[in-house]
Amino acid sequence: MAAEEEYLEAEENLEAIITRIEHKSRKIETLLKQSKPVDALKTALEGSALKTRDERCKSANWIVVHRAVMAIKDVDGMISSLDPEYYDILMKYLYRGLATGDRPTCDQCLRIHEKLTEKAGLGCILRSLSDTVNTV
Amino acid sequence: MANTIRLYLTCIRNTLEAAMCLQNFPCQEVERHNKPEVELNTSPGLIMNPVLICRNEAEKCLIETSINSIRISMKVKQADELENILAKKFLRFLSMRAEAFQVLRRKPVQGYDISFLITNYHCEEMHKHKLIDFIVQFMEDIDKEISELKLSVNTRGRLVATEFLKQFI
Repeated sequence: MAAEEEYLEAEENLEAIITRIEHKSRKIETLLKQSKPVDALKTALEGSALKTRDERCKSANWIVVHRAVMAIKDVDGMISSLDPEYYDILMKYLYRGLATGDRPTCDQCLRIHEKLTEKAGLGCILRSLSDTVNTV
Repeated sequence: MANTIRLYLTCIRNTLEAAMCLQNFPCQEVERHNKPEVELNTSPGLIMNPVLICRNEAEKCLIETSINSIRISMKVKQADELENILAKKFLRFLSMRAEAFQVLRRKPVQGYDISFLITNYHCEEMHKHKLIDFIVQFMEDIDKEISELKLSVNTRGRLVATEFLKQFI
C-alpha cells in the first residue's frame, strides 16, 4: 500500500521536476548570455532532484548542468565562490561527465575534478562513490 | 596534450586513494569462505557505485569498489591496427603471468584491455600508496612500451625490406 502511494506521489512529482528543470534551463541561458557562468552553475546544481529514480529527470538535469559546466572558463574562481554544500553534487555530476567519453566534456571535467578534490578532499569522492540514495 | 594525461592520471590517483579502503569481510552466503565481493556482485549493500573515467573516446578506466576488493580495468589507446595487435599481445603476455604481479587479473573485464584486482590482503601486505603508485605508473609506461614496440617493428620491417629488395637492383 505504502509503496503504491509512494509511486503515485513520484509520478506527480516527475512532471513538476521536469517543469522545474525547464525553468532552470531558461534561467541558465540568460545568465550565460550575461557572462555569469558561476551563477549559472549554482542555478543548475541547486534544486537537483537527487532522490528520484526516473531516468528522464536525471538526463534532463544532466543536460542542464553539462551546459553550465562547459561554459566555465575560470575553474579556480568558480570553486572558491561555490558553496560547500554543492561540492558533493558537483562531484557526482563530474563523474557522470567523465563517463560520457566525449573529449571536450572529459577535458573540462578532469580540470574541475582536480581543483575540486584539492578543495573538498577525498571525502567528497568517497561520498559520491558510496551514495546510492542520492544519485545523479 | 601532455597536460590531459597528467589530469587523467591525477583524477585516477585521487579516485583510487578515496576508493581503496578495504577491510576483511568473510563471505555472507557460505561459511568459512572469503571471496572478493566485487567479483561476485551478489549483494548491493557491499558494492559501491562503479566509476568510469574517460580521457577521450579511446582511453578509459573503470574502477569498481566493494568492501574487501577493488577492480580496476583499463582500455589503452590504440591508434591503428598495428598498435591494436601489439597492445593485445603485450597485455596478454602480462595477464598470463598474473601470478608474478599478484594484483593483476588473469582475464580483463569484457570491453577492456587489462584488469587489476586488489583485495584487502594485498593492502595488508603492501603499502596502499605504493599500490596506487604502481597502477598509475603502469598506465604511463604502457603507452611508452607500445610506442617503442611499434617503432622497433617498423624499423625491423624497413631493414628487412631494404635487404630483400637489394637483390633486385
